[in-house]
Amino acid sequence: MIIFKNVSKSFGLIKALTNVSFEVNKGEFVYLTGPSGSGKTTILKIIQREVLPDSGQVLFDNVDITQIPLHDIPTLRQNMGVVFQDFKVLMERTVSENVSVALAVLEVDEAEWAKRVEHVLKLVGLLKQKNMFPSQLSGGELQRVSLARALVINPKIILADEPTGNLDWKTADGIMDLLEKINKEGKTIIMATHHAGILKEYKHRIIHIENGKIIKN
Amino acid sequence: MSIHTKTAIEAVKRSPFQAFSAIFVTSLTFFIASFVAVLVYASNQALNFFETRPQIIAFLKDSAKESDISGLKSKLERDIRIRDLKFVSKEEALNIYKEATADNPLLSELVNPSIFPASLEFSVVELDLASTVIEEVKKEPAVDQVGFTANLGSEKTLNDVVSRLKMVANYLRYGGLAFVLVLGMVSFVVLTVIITMRMIARRNEVEILSLIGAKPSFIRSPIMFEAIIYVVSGVFIGWVSSFIIWLYFAPSAIKYFGQIPILPKDPVMFFAMFLIILLGEIFLGLTMAFLGSLIAVNRVLKKLK
Repeated sequence: MIIFKNVSKSFGLIKALTNVSFEVNKGEFVYLTGPSGSGKTTILKIIQREVLPDSGQVLFDNVDITQIPLHDIPTLRQNMGVVFQDFKVLMERTVSENVSVALAVLEVDEAEWAKRVEHVLKLVGLLKQKNMFPSQLSGGELQRVSLARALVINPKIILADEPTGNLDWKTADGIMDLLEKINKEGKTIIMATHHAGILKEYKHRIIHIENGKIIKN
Repeated sequence: MSIHTKTAIEAVKRSPFQAFSAIFVTSLTFFIASFVAVLVYASNQALNFFETRPQIIAFLKDSAKESDISGLKSKLERDIRIRDLKFVSKEEALNIYKEATADNPLLSELVNPSIFPASLEFSVVELDLASTVIEEVKKEPAVDQVGFTANLGSEKTLNDVVSRLKMVANYLRYGGLAFVLVLGMVSFVVLTVIITMRMIARRNEVEILSLIGAKPSFIRSPIMFEAIIYVVSGVFIGWVSSFIIWLYFAPSAIKYFGQIPILPKDPVMFFAMFLIILLGEIFLGLTMAFLGSLIAVNRVLKKLK
């Protein structure tokens, strides 16, 4: 599903990635681990085409995403559900609107929105809070909003960048349970984390990166 | 209501002062634009009136034979510089005089038809041709004297009136256009600045939307709707204000100018004229909203990249 072939990326003098190669198959749950600044987020940003590598190839469903034109980037992103460490929710919109905006972006028929939004909110346990604003929610709930928004579009892959980074263990555990459940339904998940407890509790394939190089795969 | 319209309305509600500024400036622009448009129309109507009404009267000699008169009439009819040719007999001239002095019957009783000469009244297609045509007609054997429409006095007076009117019409046309253009530019700049401020305030939202795969058109839509709300409100307020003022002054203006049709006397035509102005202004306003929001959004999106 995703293939990195000798991907390198520098930001000025800093080498973020050096000849990184790996493959993630459909339905896999893969952790990207490593200390802060090791290159985990850069990998996720490259998959999203937020960052363009200096060299190498990145194949997503056999298409080299480093070669796609700018106007096709939105279409690429519409196939990916992204969960951010800082949630990235729209503060002036309710929980329900935050989720349905992803459907609006995809130009899904408005008649379908309520049903799909309700389904994912039920899945992440936020049905009761659907009319609340982000300022009224806890960190864990905000992360579940972010997850619901990623799931509602039924993406091919879920990219999660430190989704438990800002959460206490109990809340992080809840989020992980959800990701497990989603993965069991066949969704591919790539998750960047340095949460040792999670790696121990929820065992999956690990790609360990240090100084922009893969140390263990 | 679409998600974009809803977002735009919420944005307007959230910053009422910015919305007020944008609507105020556009209202002012379109109020003046509507006002100037009517002034330009009125001056054109006045100019047209003086240029096209019968201006030249060739008074015929009493001794002129009927065959000479009909020969001269046919000759003038064939002349492409001349239009609206009309023969006025002695009797018709007397009737005209009687109508004109209806409020003082003594004046009409004292005259008899013989003192009024028969005449040929006509206008020229372009006023510049008048003096040449007059000189030619004066040489005709059947013609006694040639003059301009009585109430305008001499040839020089008519030329003066028309050239003064032309000057006024041009001042209104070009001066008004320049004024409206300057105001239009100010509105455009204010609108673009406000939309840019809005975009900067929505920077996070734009970034999130972009990350979840929103196309630039999706990001642009609520901003464009917001600009449309400002401009359409501005056009409507400006147009209604101008319409009310003209509606109030039109009867007096029409009465004052008498037979010069500076404004349509028929209410339907009057409304039609304002409707055309409104449609033109909506078109201009939408173009302004589209360009303003496009520039603002592109500037902010470029900065985000």
